[in-house]
Amino acid sequence: MPENTEILRAASEVQYAEELSALAKADTKPRPPQWKLSPWAVSTFVLGGKLDSGFEVSPKYIGNRRLIEIAVATLATDRALLLLGLPGTAKTWVAEHLAAAICGDSSLLVQGTAGTAEEAVRYGWNYALLLAKGPSQAALVPSPVMRAMREGKIARIEELTRIPSEVQDALITILSEKTLQVPELNEQIQARKGFNVIATANDRDRGVNELSSALKRRVNTVVLPLPDTAEEEVDIVQRRVAQLGRALELPGEAPALEEVRRVVTVFRELREGKTSDGKTKLKSPSSTLSTAEAISVVNSGLALAAHFGDGRLRARDMASGLTGAVVKDPVQDRIVWQEYLETVVKERDGWKDLYRSCREVL
Amino acid sequence: MSAPATELHVFGIRHHGPGSARSLLAALKGLKPDCILIEGPPDGAEALPLAAHEKMEPPVALLVYAPDEPRRAVFYPYAVFSPEWQAIRWGLVNSVPVRFMDLPVAHRFGLDKEAEARAKAEAEAEAGAKAAQVEGGGMAEGCGEEAVEPEPEPKPKPKQPHPRQDPLRWLAEAAGYNDGERWWEHLVESRRDSRDLFAAILEAMTALRKELPPLEDPDEAREEVLREAHMRAVIRGAAREGAARIAVVCGAWHAPVLAGCLAGRREADAGLPAPSARDDAAALKGLPRTKVAATWIPWTYGRLAAESGYGAGVISPGWYHHLWTHPTRLSERWLTRVAKLLRKEDLDASAAQTIEAVRLTEALAAIRGRPLPGLEELNEACRTVFCFGSSLPLGIIRERLIIGEELGRIPETAPTVPLQQDLAREQKRLRLPPKALAESKELDLREANDLDRSRLLHRLDLLSLPWGSTERARGKGTFKEIWRLEWKPEFAIALIDASRWGNTVSEAASARVCDLAGRAPDLPALTGLIDGVLLADLPEAAAHVMRKLQDQAAVTSDVAHLMDALPPLAGVLRYGNVRRTDTELIGQVVSGLVARICIGLVPACGSLNDEAAAGMHERIGRVHEAMVLLQSRDYAASWQATLARLAGVPNVHGLIAGRCVRLLLDARALAAGEAGSRLSLALSTANEPAQAAAWIEGFLKDSGAILIHDDGLWALLDEWVGGLKPDAFVQVLPLLRRTFGTFAAAERRMMGERARQGGRPPALAGAAAAAGELDAARAEAVLPLVRSLLGLEAGDGR
Repeated sequence: MPENTEILRAASEVQYAEELSALAKADTKPRPPQWKLSPWAVSTFVLGGKLDSGFEVSPKYIGNRRLIEIAVATLATDRALLLLGLPGTAKTWVAEHLAAAICGDSSLLVQGTAGTAEEAVRYGWNYALLLAKGPSQAALVPSPVMRAMREGKIARIEELTRIPSEVQDALITILSEKTLQVPELNEQIQARKGFNVIATANDRDRGVNELSSALKRRVNTVVLPLPDTAEEEVDIVQRRVAQLGRALELPGEAPALEEVRRVVTVFRELREGKTSDGKTKLKSPSSTLSTAEAISVVNSGLALAAHFGDGRLRARDMASGLTGAVVKDPVQDRIVWQEYLETVVKERDGWKDLYRSCREVL
Repeated sequence: MSAPATELHVFGIRHHGPGSARSLLAALKGLKPDCILIEGPPDGAEALPLAAHEKMEPPVALLVYAPDEPRRAVFYPYAVFSPEWQAIRWGLVNSVPVRFMDLPVAHRFGLDKEAEARAKAEAEAEAGAKAAQVEGGGMAEGCGEEAVEPEPEPKPKPKQPHPRQDPLRWLAEAAGYNDGERWWEHLVESRRDSRDLFAAILEAMTALRKELPPLEDPDEAREEVLREAHMRAVIRGAAREGAARIAVVCGAWHAPVLAGCLAGRREADAGLPAPSARDDAAALKGLPRTKVAATWIPWTYGRLAAESGYGAGVISPGWYHHLWTHPTRLSERWLTRVAKLLRKEDLDASAAQTIEAVRLTEALAAIRGRPLPGLEELNEACRTVFCFGSSLPLGIIRERLIIGEELGRIPETAPTVPLQQDLAREQKRLRLPPKALAESKELDLREANDLDRSRLLHRLDLLSLPWGSTERARGKGTFKEIWRLEWKPEFAIALIDASRWGNTVSEAASARVCDLAGRAPDLPALTGLIDGVLLADLPEAAAHVMRKLQDQAAVTSDVAHLMDALPPLAGVLRYGNVRRTDTELIGQVVSGLVARICIGLVPACGSLNDEAAAGMHERIGRVHEAMVLLQSRDYAASWQATLARLAGVPNVHGLIAGRCVRLLLDARALAAGEAGSRLSLALSTANEPAQAAAWIEGFLKDSGAILIHDDGLWALLDEWVGGLKPDAFVQVLPLLRRTFGTFAAAERRMMGERARQGGRPPALAGAAAAAGELDAARAEAVLPLVRSLLGLEAGDGR
C-alpha cells in the first residue's frame, strides 16, 4: 500500500510480496505442478509463522489451523474448494490469500450475482469482430475461469450460490473434465496443470440459488466457523465498533464492555441454541446473527444513545437493534425471541433492564 | 528357586490395541509357549474356559463381584481386538494353560473396604466434612477393567490421566502421532519382527518408568505395588511348576518390573530391577479378602468407548475393530463403509466422492508429514467431501462406525449374573415369589412393603421384563394398584441381557431409562418415559429424564407436544408425594413448559381443520386443568392472558375460541357481560354457520349438568336467547340444536324444566333451601364413612 496511496487496498500478492518471496526462498518441500509454493508454505503464508531464516510471516487468518490444511490439501488434489460460512467469517479473505500464495495471482475473479451470465464463467464474444469476421480465436473474450485454465492458475468465484443454477451448471464439466468446449470454433480448451477453482458461498442465508447436488459432489467443502470463544468475539466487536465509530464520527462515549458482552452473549446463545453455561437449550432464530450484525447492533445503539440519550450506551438503546437483528421472520423468530426473553433474560442477574426494554419493543 | 531352563517372555501390550493384538498373536505363534499368564483377575479362573465357547461373541466382559454386595463389582471388558482376548483364545484353542495373574479382586475389594472404613472414620472425626464414599472398585486405571459407577452419567475426570493409563499413546504423541494405534501400525510395518518390537517396548517403558514421578495417591501406589508383586509371584509359581516357556501378557506399563523377576536372569534382561521373591511374599501376606464370584456378561462397543466414563476405554472401538478386521487398504475400506452408511441414511455419497475422499486423506497426511493417514484425516476428508462441510452426518458416522454398535453374546451356560441374584433377593425380601401361573395382586401403596413391590414391578417393566401388568388407571392420587403377575421362563434370558445395564434392579433400570432418554427422538417419547420412571422411583433417572425433557422442550416447535407433557408433570408437582419425588427439578421444567405453551399457543391454533381443532380443544382443556392444579398466580395470569388473546384471534377455529371464552368465564377472568357479547358476536348471522356452530359447541361442550346448576351461565345464555329477534332465533336454532343434542336426554329434560320454571335450578333447589336447618346429629352419623373413604384412621382425630 505505501507506493500507491490512491488505492484503498492492494491485492494480496502485491501487499505481501515480500513475505511471498521470503517463503519461496525458504521453501524446500515438493511443490505440486505450477504451484509457486509448496502446500506447507501456502498454509504458513495464510496462518503466519516464523521461518528458519528468522523472517516473520504475519497471520492472515486467525483460527483453526486444520481447516486451512484441509483447504490447501484439497487444492493440491486438483479438487475444487468451496469455502462456506456466515457473512464475516473471512471466506473471501482466505480465498484471495490462497490464490495469491499458490499462483501469485488473485485477480482471476468471477463476482457472483443473480445477474451473472454464462459468459462470465465460460467465454464471451467481441461482437464487432464476430460480425465482421465470423467466429475466431481473436473474437473470443475469455472469462477469468478460462484464463485460469489456459495459464494453470487459480480462478476464484465469489458468492457461488447467488449465481443462477443454469450458470452454475456450466462449471460442472470444467470441474470434472477440466476442459471447456468452444463449439463455435470446434475447439476444446484443456486446462493446464495448476488450474483449480476456489468458490465462496454463504451457508446461513443460502443465497438466491441452492447449490446443485451435481456441483456439490464436485467440490470439497470447508466451513469457516465463527469465532470460537465469547472473549474473542467480544474483542472483535469492540475493536470494529471503535474503528467504525471514529469513521462515522459519532459523539458520545465508547461502548461499555459490559454492554458489548451482553450483545455478544445474546447472539452466541441464540446461535448455538443453548445458554453460555450450557445448562439450558434454546431455539435458534432464522436470522444469521453474525459477528457483523452484533457490530451493527452496538453501533446503532451508540448512535441512539449519542443523539437521543445521554451519550452512554444503555439497554434501551440496544433493545430495538437486538430485536430487529433476531426477529427476521415475524412469526417463528418472534416466538424464539419471546421464549429467550422469558426463560433466559428475565432470570439472569442484572439483565432486568434489558428484559424490560426488549419487552417494550416487542 | 526356579528351574534355570525357564524362558520368560514379557509382552507389554496396549489394552484394546488391535496392533498389539496382531503382533502378540504373531509372537505367540512363533514362540509356542507352554504357559500363558495374562494380566487379569485370578478370581475369574473358573469362567475362563467359557471364552472358547462357540456361542461366545465379544465384546464381552468378565465380571467379578461380591455376591452379597453386587454394587461392588469390576468389569474386565474384552473386544475381539483386545490382545488379552486373543491370547486367551489362542491358549484355549491350542490347549496351552492360560492363567490370570493380577492381584485377585477378592483382595482388592478387601482393601477397598478397609480404605472406606478408614475414610469413614476420618470423615466422622472431621465433623461436617462430607465422606467421600468410594464405590465399587474405584480404580479403573491401566488394566482393562471398569469399576461400576453408580451414576448413569460419566464422571468428569478432573485431573490429567496418569501416563500409565496408556503409556504407548504418550510415546506415539512424542513421535507426532495422535493415535497410539497408527503409531503402532507404523512401528510394526517398519520393523516386521514382532518379538523385537516387544523388546523395544520393554526398553521404552523402562525409560519411561525411570523418568516419571511415583504416584501421588498412597492408596493407588500401594495397590500398584501389590499388583505387580502378585504378578511376579504368579510368574515364579509357574516357573516352579516346570513351565519351560512362559508368555506374560500385560499392560506395557508393567512390563519392566516383570521382565527380570526370575532369579538369575536379572542381568540378562532389560527392565527395572524387581524385588526379590521374599519381599513380594511379604508384601502379599495377610491381605484382607472378601468373597467374590465371576461370570461373563455381554458388553457393547458403546460402553467400551472412553466417553462412557471407562478409564482404560478406547475412543473409537469401531475404528479399532476395523483396524483388526482389515489389515490392508484401510482408508479405502473405511471410506467405502462411510459412503455406504451415508447412502443408507439417504445422504449423497457416490463412488467418485469416495475416491476423492481417499485422495484428500492422503494429501492431508502428506501435508502433516505423516506416513499413514489416521482417523482424524479420514474424518476431515469425510466432512469435506461427503458431508458438505457439515458436522451433522459426522455424528452418525461417529455413532455407527467409529464407536460401533456391536453387542456381545454370552452362552446360556454362563454362571448367573448378579442382576439375577439381586432380583431373587428382592423377591425373597418382598415375599413375591415368581410363579408361572398368572395371579392377581392388590397393592396398597401406603404399606412400605407393597410400595417396594410396586417399585420392583415398575422397574422390571422398564427393563423389558413385564412380569406384572397393571390394569388400574395411572395417576399419582391413587394408593391402590392391581397387578397381574405371570413369570415366564424367557425372563431369565432377558435378565442376562439386562445385566449389561447394572448389577441391581434399580441400577439397571436407571441406566436403561437414561439410555432410552438419550435416544428419545421427540417430546412425547420422553413424556412417556416420565410416568414409568416416577412410578419406579428412580430419582437419578428421573433427574436425567427431566433434564432431557427440558432440553427437548426448548427446541421443539410443536406446541401440542408441550401441552401433552405438562399435565402429568403438574400432577406430580401437586400430589407427587405419595412416592416422595424430588419436585424442585420438576418445578423448573414446568415453569419452562408453561412459558413456552403461553407463547406458542396462539400461533399454533391458527388455521386448524376440524380434527386438529378437536385435538387442540382437548389439550387446552387438559392444560387448563393442569394450570388450576398448579395453583400459581403467575402461571394463571399468563395462561389467562394467552386464552384471552386466543379468543380474540379472527382465524382461530370456533371450537377453540368458544372454549377459551368459557374457560375465562369460569375463571372469572371475563365478566359475564363481556362473555355475553362475545357469544352474540360469535353467533351473529354474518358468521359462517359452521364456525358459529363450532363456537357454541366449544363454549358448552360437556357442560350440560353445569348449565343446569350454574346460575351465571344459565342467565348468560338465557339473556342472549331472550334478546334474539324472532328471525335470528330461527336461524341460530339449528346451531344450538346441534350442541344441545350432544347432552344426555335427562340433562335436556332438566334444562327444559328449568326453562319452564322461569330459570330456577330444578331438583337440587330444595336441598339448597334446606341447608339452613342442618341436623347435626344426622350429619355426624355420616362422618365415619367419609373418614374411611378418605383413608383416614377413625381415631386420628382429623
